[in-house]
Amino acid sequence: MNHLQANLCLLCVTFCWSTEVIIFACIPNTVSPFATTSITFLAGGILLLIAFARRIIAGLKKDTKKLLLRCVFLSAINGAYNTMFQFGLKDFDVSTGAFTLSLTVVALPVIMLAQRSKVDNQTWFSSALVLVGIIVPLTGMLTKSQIPGLTIIVIGCVLRAFYIIKLNQYAREHDPIVFSTLICLSGGVMSFLCWMVVQPGTFLCISWSPTVIASLAIYSYFVVALAITLNLIAQRRATPADCAIIYSLEIVFSVLWGALLPASLIDPVSLTPRLLIGIVFVVLGNLVVIFDFKQLRNKRREAGT
Amino acid sequence: MKQARRILLLLFCYLLVAIPFKVMEIIPGFTDIRPVTMLGPIFAVFYGVPGCGVMAVGNLIMDALSGSLRWSSIFGFAANFLGPFLIYLFWVHRSEEPFSLRSGRNILKHTLIVCLAAILEMILITPAVALFYPEVDAKLFALTVLLNTSVFPLIFGIPIMILMQEELGFRPLKKRKG
Repeated sequence: MNHLQANLCLLCVTFCWSTEVIIFACIPNTVSPFATTSITFLAGGILLLIAFARRIIAGLKKDTKKLLLRCVFLSAINGAYNTMFQFGLKDFDVSTGAFTLSLTVVALPVIMLAQRSKVDNQTWFSSALVLVGIIVPLTGMLTKSQIPGLTIIVIGCVLRAFYIIKLNQYAREHDPIVFSTLICLSGGVMSFLCWMVVQPGTFLCISWSPTVIASLAIYSYFVVALAITLNLIAQRRATPADCAIIYSLEIVFSVLWGALLPASLIDPVSLTPRLLIGIVFVVLGNLVVIFDFKQLRNKRREAGT
Repeated sequence: MKQARRILLLLFCYLLVAIPFKVMEIIPGFTDIRPVTMLGPIFAVFYGVPGCGVMAVGNLIMDALSGSLRWSSIFGFAANFLGPFLIYLFWVHRSEEPFSLRSGRNILKHTLIVCLAAILEMILITPAVALFYPEVDAKLFALTVLLNTSVFPLIFGIPIMILMQEELGFRPLKKRKG
């Protein structure tokens, strides 16, 4: 897989994640966030296990302990930030929620800097553009009652940024298919344990309907199985900062969903000027990364000499 | 026997993806949000004519399962076969170079052929629906078919094809020499 293909895969991952807000909207509030995470991660993991059983068994034979420990570690972080997002998003509508989730883009280079990793100017520039894109619409939409939700989401974003950095590091060392399957399964088991504590009746407490089953199935296929696998594979060819910036396109997709899809599926989003300005800045920040202007300039220079 | 097993497996994959989305209806009984269309180019390029057949049969089964089996389903069957078949014809018989999405040029080519297939499907199904069921909003129907058959094969289909070819060792069909 080359750089362009990795970026396309990351775009697809972002697209899958953008549907998260819509799928959550289809799941009634009575379904615990632990239940959603647990069911979807287990279902996604089982799907991958069925599809790649031989490869996974072979992969597990090598370095089992290290692999399992890393998966449990990442699953714990993944489960934690996903649950935080689900709790936090209850205070927001689709478009504002999407903007808040993208604060990861800003948290990531800061964490990298704290870890004394090198962050190039291009990354800072694109992160700044995306940050402006997040702030402009949020200042017009935030209310006092949303601050607790926003705080939970910001903590979730910091955790997510840390997760991306670690994932990027581990993805280069292990088989991505084995790794993604184990992340799904361990994440599912951990959330299930939490679910059992919160709702001892677990599956019996959910009022099952075709919409709930469909939403959970869609989440399992696209947001869990496909997105986690694609993400791990693409991460091997991309830097954590590039990944986080491409992930910020989630905002654009979510707003598009809200503006284009019928009200029967999602709360409609009205395209305000602030929202549009925010989107433009986010897209600009992404273009800087996807087209890698620095590399293009170097190529031109080489061609000129 | 091996071929039959493969076709059944493809059909199973189709239904696994298609069934959950049946609740996301746009025009009840006629169109819904169908990410399953992402499988069209994948089945066409990696499995050829049997793969295109699976797309057509799968769509018919879904119509029957959701109680929307109508006269227009015949056209739906034809369109769901011909759309992927066009992609198969291009990459396996027409293109000089074998299928690969490693360069921007090839991705553009693939995008164009997927869009052409989407237009073909829209042109085949919409007049039939408009003729047999004049009460259906034909414009909305056409737009839904066009978006379903272009957006999902591009957004999900391309990364999955990259994944299959580059990382999972699937081999696309090639033009036979001579």
